[in-house]
This record gives sequence, C-alpha cells and structure tokens, in this order.
Amino acid sequence: MRPNPVVKAAMIALASFISLLFVFPYLWMIAASFRDTEAILTAPLRLWPESFSLKAYRDILVLSGEPLSTYLINSLLITGASTVFTVLTSLMGAYALTRAPHLPGFGLLRVGFLLVIMYPYMLLVLPVYLVMFQLGLLGTTIGIILFLSVGPIQFFLFEQFFKSIPREVIEAARMDNASEMKILMRIVAPMSMPVVMTVILITVLLNWAQWFPVLVISRSTDTYTLPVALLSLNSELGVNFQGIMALATLTTLPVIIVYLLTQRRVMEGMISGAVKG
Amino acid sequence: MVAIPVPAARPTLIQRLDGAAIFYVFALPFAALTIVMGLWPIALSIQTSFTESFTALSPEPTFVGLENYREIFADPQFIRSINLTLLYTVLSVALNLTVALAYALFLNSPLLGRAAMIFKLCVFLPVITPDLAGYIVWKWMYNTDFGAINAGLNALGLPDFAGTSSQSTAMISLLIAELWYHVGFYVIIFLANLAMIDKSLIEAARMDATPPWRMFTRIILPQLRPAIMINSVYALIQFLKTFTVVVVITKGGPAGSTNFVSYHAYQMFDQAQYGKAAAMASTLFAGVMVLAFFVYWLNQRADWR
Repeated sequence: MRPNPVVKAAMIALASFISLLFVFPYLWMIAASFRDTEAILTAPLRLWPESFSLKAYRDILVLSGEPLSTYLINSLLITGASTVFTVLTSLMGAYALTRAPHLPGFGLLRVGFLLVIMYPYMLLVLPVYLVMFQLGLLGTTIGIILFLSVGPIQFFLFEQFFKSIPREVIEAARMDNASEMKILMRIVAPMSMPVVMTVILITVLLNWAQWFPVLVISRSTDTYTLPVALLSLNSELGVNFQGIMALATLTTLPVIIVYLLTQRRVMEGMISGAVKG
Repeated sequence: MVAIPVPAARPTLIQRLDGAAIFYVFALPFAALTIVMGLWPIALSIQTSFTESFTALSPEPTFVGLENYREIFADPQFIRSINLTLLYTVLSVALNLTVALAYALFLNSPLLGRAAMIFKLCVFLPVITPDLAGYIVWKWMYNTDFGAINAGLNALGLPDFAGTSSQSTAMISLLIAELWYHVGFYVIIFLANLAMIDKSLIEAARMDATPPWRMFTRIILPQLRPAIMINSVYALIQFLKTFTVVVVITKGGPAGSTNFVSYHAYQMFDQAQYGKAAAMASTLFAGVMVLAFFVYWLNQRADWR
C-alpha cells in the first residue's frame, strides 16, 4: 500500500496546526513584551511586533525595591547549588541502597523516601515553614537550597541505572581486591556519566521552575527567584502587562534554549524517571 | 630452613571502613535530607493537625485531639472544595488521557516521517518550562480586552468565551490551561509504549482485514496497558493536587468555583490557621494515597479484552 501524498500533506498540516497551538502562548508572550498597549488592543493576535520596544524590559529593571539582577542571581545560585546537592546526595544514596540493600536501616530509608515523594508537594511545603522556623533557616537562601535538594525522580533514575550494571562487573573488581571506593571511582563513575548528565539537566529544569517553596521560606523579596518575582509582579495592583510578559520571557527563555539543545536527553530522562517512579 | 609464616596484615582503617560502613557514609547525606526536609515536616504536619492553630508554632502546642478535623468537615466551604477537586480531577484525567492517546496514535503514524520529532518537541515544550510563567501567559490570554483567546474566536466568527470571569467557565479555563501544560508528558509516555508494540500482531490483523476500531480495542489498547497505568496514576496524583494554576489564574474564584482543596488549605495556612490547614493537608494526602492505590489495583485486575 503506497502512502497517499494528499493524506500525508493533510496530516502534516494538522500536526503543524496542533503544534502551533502548543507554541502559541510563548510566541504571544515574547511578542507582547515588545509591543505597546494600543497595538495589542488593536491586534491581539499579532505575533510579529510592529517595532521592538525595550520599554517593558527597562521598566522591570527594578522590582519591589530590588534590582532585577538580584532575582537572576538568586535563581542561578539556588538552581545551581540545589542541583549539585540533589545530584550528589541521590547519586550516593542510590548507589549505597542498590549495592547493599540489606544493610539495617536501608529498607526503612527507601520506604521513608517513597513516603516523602508521595506526599503532595505543595502540602509538604507548608510544614517545611515550621521546620525552617525551628532550624532558624526561615528567610535564608541556604534553607531554600536545602529544601530543593530533595529531588522527586533523581533517586529513581540513578537506582534504575545502578541496577542495570551487570553484577559480574563489580564481582570481578572485588575478586581483584579493589576497595569499594576504587570500585566506585574507577568502574562505576565512568559508566555513570551519561545518566549523571541527564539527571543534572532535568534537575536544573525542575529547580529553575520552583516557586512555592521559595515563596514560603522567604521572608522578604531579597531571596526571591525569577518565578517568584514574576508572581509578585503579577499580583500587584495597576499591573504592567508588557512588564509581566517581559519578565515571563526572561524566566522561560533560558529553559527553552537548554531544552532545544538537549531535547532527546530531557525527554528520555523524564520517561525513564516516570516509568520507574 | 623453616619457613616463617607471614602474618596476615591487620586490615587498615580504610579497609575496615570498606565493608558496610562505606555504604552508610554514602547514604548519610541522602538520609539526612530525606529526614530533615521530608519526614520531619510530614510528622510535624500530622502533629499540627491535632493542635490548636495559634499554639502550633510555640514550643508547647495545645493538643485538641480531632477538633480540627471535626471543624473542617463541618465547614461547607471545605466540603464544597472536596467536591470541586474530585470533579476537576475526574474531568482532567479523562480529558488529558484521551487527548494524549489520540495525539500519540496520530504522531505515531509512519506517514509523518521525520517531522514527527518536531511535533513531539512542541507538545512537550510546556512540560519543561516553568509552570508559573506559562499560566501567567494563559491568564492574560483569557483577558477579555487584551486576550488572544477571544480575538481568535471572533476571527473565526465564534462568540466570546467568558473564561475566568464567569463561574460557569472558570473551571473549563483551568482545564484547558492545564491540558496545555501537562498533556505532552502523557503523549510522550504513550509514544514510548507504542514504540514497543508487537508489530507482527498488527500485520496479522491487517491480513485478516480487521476493522480499524476492532484493531484498536483488541490489539493496540491491550498492549498500551503499561502506559495507561503510569499515566492514570500520574494524572490522578497530578490533578488532585492542582495548585499553581489556581494561584495564578483564578485565586479560587469567581465565588469559590475553583477553590480546590490544596488552595483552600493554603489560604488557611496564610491566615495562620495552621491546625486546620494541616488537617486539610492530611485529608488530601489520605485521599491521594487511597485513590492512587485504587487506580493501581483496578489496572492490575482489569481484564483487558
């Protein structure tokens, strides 16, 4: 049966239309950040700005008394540090729990972790306020970073990978009297590089988007990240629509660029994380 | 000559550590984070649900037994938010899974060729971008003056959509925005499963001139069982906790028509009603667990033919 070219063209057209619906909000957001109010009111659907006005971007250089750079630096710092912590702790934790699952306490730890990730995230954040209060970490960047370091799927991605390493590989190393440290550094670590890269990528994307824990743990705007600044700008009275779109663009664009550069890895990582979890 | 036996070297500290201890060292940071940032807050939340709100933060909170639970279940607003959450969850799960399955089957067609990768990229794009930014854009697209939605409808000669300004359409508006955000994830899971389907069965059925609908229900659907299970459990957990979209777009309104449990609990928390907020959280947690296991069990026992 030969594919009918008309059917094929119709299917591509339909798929393109549906894809446009998914991409439309981003195009609309970027366009609106450059257009003036009157232009938007006259032609709300237009996706190519009449002129590229940077007024909206200039207007958001200072937000709620903080320079925009504060939020950007917080975003980078919090995302970076929490990614390092999440990846390191879940990597080592998953390695220990896969290699020695029968050590006393490890079974319990696994169940405890499962319970934590099953607890509705947004409801976990509320008691975290109480915990931060008791630890004296309320309103601190450290508090935010530590909380974001409990990752939902990273542990499973690593666990799944370590389980896939053939037993013989590690047994052979043990026969040669290699220490556990050596086995980890010389044998396991080089093999894990691709999965580590995938997990880093997913963690960066997830943590960049986090807003609720940041809002709850913060006491003032000086620990806000870009998404939280966006939320607070959005709830101000007398809203500055183009400014909101400009800030939304700044929050989203880095992620879109990273995603376009690494598409396959992100998708595959998300799938295997989901299938296991 | 008498051979002098070489004494076995005493294991060094490192070597002794090398046994079980090293695994405890590896697991320690992970365990510490899980306990301090996970189990402790959960325990604290459960404890708080049994204490009087204004003493919850004090060193010696007053325990009031089940009083908070009694109060929240006597509150018609909370009962209404439970009903709204359940309705929204059922609609969302059904809508997302149906759309995702249909679109995955469509994208799986060999006719699309290499272009399919681009279409996959587009549908998955919202999943990895910050949800908050995406929903803020949707909020403005629903705007009746600026918004792209009504402009688009009018351009097609269709009537205005009231969007988030009316009680009757507010929930639908959230459904659409969340469909846009989440459906790509379910599509990708279905596609991964479709790639693993046994092609020979489909070929055999085609030889027998099996009608398309029969082919779908008897041959394709049963093989999609793993994806259906993952997606339904995920979607259920996802939509029961619906929160960000409410905070950004409707704030529970208009007139409480989108006041879901998680948002309601958050408002209680915001008003320093910690006891009640924690009681609501525990109730939602119990609900999520029970429903997730129920769906899991249903999927396990269902006869798929």
